[in-house]
Amino acid sequence: MAEEHPGAWFGFGFCGFGQALGSGRGPCVHSPEPLRVPGAETCHVSASWSYTAVVTRGDRAELSGSASGAIGDCADAWASEAALVVLRVGAAHGAELQVWSPERAPRGEPLWTHAVVREPARRQGGAQAGVLPLLPGACAYVSPRPPFYRPLAPELRARRLELGAEHAVLLGEAGQVFSWGSGRHGQLGHGTLEAELEPRPLEALQGLPMAEVAAGGWHSVCVSETGDIYVWGWNESGQLALPTRSLAEEGKTVQGEATVLTLDGPDLKGAAGGEDGGPAPFISIQSFPALLDLPLGSEAIKASCGSRHTAVVTRMGELYTWGWGKYGQLGHKDTASLDHPCRVQYFVEKQLRVKAVTCGPWNTYVYAV
Amino acid sequence: MAEGDPQAGSGALQKALRALLPSSKEGLKLDVGDRVERSVLLLLQQAAELFYGDRRSECLQISEVILDYSWEKLNAGPWRDVDKSWRQVYSFGCLLKAVCLCEGPEDTAAVPAALRVCDMGLLMGAAILGDILIKVAAVLQAHLRPESRPARSPPREQPSAKRAKSDHVPIPNVKIERAVPRVHRPSLEYFREQFLVPGRPVVLEGVAGHWPCMKKWSLEYIQEIAGCRTVPVEVGSRYTDEEWSQTLMTISEFISKYIVNEPKDVGYLAQHQLFDQIPELKQDITIPDYCCLGDGDEDEITINAWFGPQGTVSPLHQDPQQNFLAQVMGRKYIQLYSPQESEALYPHDSHLLHNTSQVDVENPNLEKFPKFAEAPFLSCILSPGEILFIPVKYWHYVRALDLSFSVSFWWS
Repeated sequence: MAEEHPGAWFGFGFCGFGQALGSGRGPCVHSPEPLRVPGAETCHVSASWSYTAVVTRGDRAELSGSASGAIGDCADAWASEAALVVLRVGAAHGAELQVWSPERAPRGEPLWTHAVVREPARRQGGAQAGVLPLLPGACAYVSPRPPFYRPLAPELRARRLELGAEHAVLLGEAGQVFSWGSGRHGQLGHGTLEAELEPRPLEALQGLPMAEVAAGGWHSVCVSETGDIYVWGWNESGQLALPTRSLAEEGKTVQGEATVLTLDGPDLKGAAGGEDGGPAPFISIQSFPALLDLPLGSEAIKASCGSRHTAVVTRMGELYTWGWGKYGQLGHKDTASLDHPCRVQYFVEKQLRVKAVTCGPWNTYVYAV
Repeated sequence: MAEGDPQAGSGALQKALRALLPSSKEGLKLDVGDRVERSVLLLLQQAAELFYGDRRSECLQISEVILDYSWEKLNAGPWRDVDKSWRQVYSFGCLLKAVCLCEGPEDTAAVPAALRVCDMGLLMGAAILGDILIKVAAVLQAHLRPESRPARSPPREQPSAKRAKSDHVPIPNVKIERAVPRVHRPSLEYFREQFLVPGRPVVLEGVAGHWPCMKKWSLEYIQEIAGCRTVPVEVGSRYTDEEWSQTLMTISEFISKYIVNEPKDVGYLAQHQLFDQIPELKQDITIPDYCCLGDGDEDEITINAWFGPQGTVSPLHQDPQQNFLAQVMGRKYIQLYSPQESEALYPHDSHLLHNTSQVDVENPNLEKFPKFAEAPFLSCILSPGEILFIPVKYWHYVRALDLSFSVSFWWS
C-alpha cells in the first residue's frame, strides 16, 4: 500500500456509535470526510455495523464505536458484530489468529486462538492486511460464529474470500469464482434460489478470469481482469444497479437508462433490457451474474459491498457508488438510494485519485491519493 | 360526516397514546436475552430515554436505526428461523416511531403513516408489552374514522364491481360422481368417524350459515372497518409464476386497484392473519366446533383471510394441517386430490415449492405430465355459508368464480 505520496483515508455513512468516521456530529455523514485515527498511518480498515477496526502501519488495530481501545502486534483485523478477528504477529505471539468478543476487546482474553504458519518472506507491516477472513496460507477461513475455523479444500487455491449475511464468495488463484451458503436472494449466482453447502464454481463466469470479488449482505460483485463488473443477488435497494420497484414507486428510478447489456452466448445474459430496447422491467432478484457497465465505459479495478450498497474504484481513480443510501453511505451529499452507478464527486473536486475502498454494512471507507 | 376540531383531536389522540404506554422508561424494558447484540440493546435503551425525555426527533432517528437494523435480521435466513427477539426489537422500533410520528407537528399524513408503521410491526414483528401495537393501531384507527358513523352497515349489498365479467367466466361442471359429499350439521362423532379419521373431504352445510360475517360483510363494510390498514397483497396470476410478487398496501388501495377499478393485474389478499391484526373482524366469525377433535389448543389454530376478485387462483398444493375453508362472499371452484395420488401430481423438486404441483389443473400439459390425466379427484363449488373440510396433506386447487372472501382455519 506504500506510495510515493502517501494518500489519506476518508469515510462516509453511518456513524451512530461514534466510530471513526467524520467529525462525530450526528448519526451519519453524507459526504466524504477525512478519517481521524490516532497513531500511525492507516493501512487497512474493517468496519462492522457498530464499530470499526483500523490497522495502522505500526501493526496496531485501533477500535472505535461500540468497541474501543487498541490491540498491538496486529497485522490484520476483520470486524463483525459477533466477533473481532485479528492476526497477531511478532515475537510475543509468533503468528496467531485470535477471535475476540467486540464488546470486551482488547481487555481480557480472546474467545479462541489458533496458531498459523508464518509467511516465509514477511513484507513491510500492513501488507498482510485485508486478507481476513481468509487465513494466510488459504487453507481455511475464520467464521464469526463457531466453529470459528473453517477448512477450505486446497484445490480451491483461494486468493480472496468475503462473507455476506448468509453466503460466502471466494476467488481462486486462476480467477474462478466460487460461492456457497444460502441462495434465497440469488446471491450465489448459480441461477437458482437453492442453498449450496460446499463451494460451487459459477458456471456463468467460466473462462472469464476475475481479479476481485466482494460480498454484500445479500448480493455479490466481481471485477474481471479486463475491468468488467458482474453483479448478482438481491436488488431491493438498487444495489445491483438494476431498476428496482421500490425506487420507481418513489419516482427515483432511471428505468430507461439502465445500462445492462447482454453478452453473446447462452450462458451469460444481461438481466434486464427488453428485446426491443424498451424500458427494463424491475429486477428484485438476479440469480445469475449480470454484466454492469459504468458510465463512459470506465474500467473497474476494485469493488466492495456494504449490507445493501456497492462501491467500485475505476482505473482512472474514480469512485462509483449505488444502492441503499439512507445513511449517506453513497457519499453523494444526500440520503437517496440509487439503482444506477453514480460518481462520488468529492474526489473529483478535490483532485484525488481513489485507490481502494472498503465498505462496512452501512458506511464506506476510501483510500485516495 | 362530522369531523372534530383537528387541534382538539390531536391532543386527545396524544393523550390516548400516552395512556397505553408505561409511565416511565423503566416500564419500557424489553426482555430479549442474549440473542440480540449488545450494541442494539444500547440503542433500545437510548431510544427509551429520548422518548421519556421528550426528545422526539432524536428518538425518531434512533428508532429508524433500530428498525433498519432489525429489518435486516428479519431478512437473514428463512422466516421460521428468524429469532423472535429480533421481531420484538422490530416491534419496539415500530411502537416508538408510530407514537413519535403522532406527537409531532399537526400533519394530516402523520396518523395514517403511524398506522402503517403499526401494521408493519404487526405483520413482521412479534408481540411486545401485552400486544401494545394492536391497541395503538385501534386508537389510531378510531381517530381516522369519522365519529358519526358507527361500525354497522346496511344489510349486505352486492359489490359494485363489474358484474358483466361473470358472463364470460368458465363455471366448471361438477360431475355427480366426482362431487365432494355434502353433509348437514353432522355430529362431532359422525364427522370424526366418516371424514376426519379416514381423511376424506366433505362440505359442511348449515354450520357457518349464521355467522355474523355472512350477513355483515360487504366491500363497503370491509372498507369501513379496515380500509386504512396495511396488508400484504400477492400480485400475479399464481404464485408459481415468474411475474408473481408480494407487496404491501392499505385495504382501500387493494379494493380500489385490484377489485373495483378495472384491474390490470390479479391482486389477491391471500393467506393473511387479518383477524389477529384487526380483532374487530374476528367477532364476526366463529371457530368451528369440530376443531376440538384435534390435538392442539384453540389458540394454536391459524385463521387466514382470503379476499380477492373473481379469477384468483391457488395452484394445486398441499398443507401440513387440517383445514376448514369457510366461504363468506362469492363462490369458489375447488378440485381435490388425495395424498395417495401425489406421484401423478408431479410436485416441484425445489425445497421452496415441494408442496406445490407443477400441473395447471384446469389446463394441464398432458404430454409433460401424462399420469395426471388418470388421477382421480373430487370437486365442488363452495358457496357462501358453506365450509369445506380439506384433510391434512390433501391436494387442493382453488379458483374464485366471483369476488370472493374466504376464511380458513388450520388446525391439528
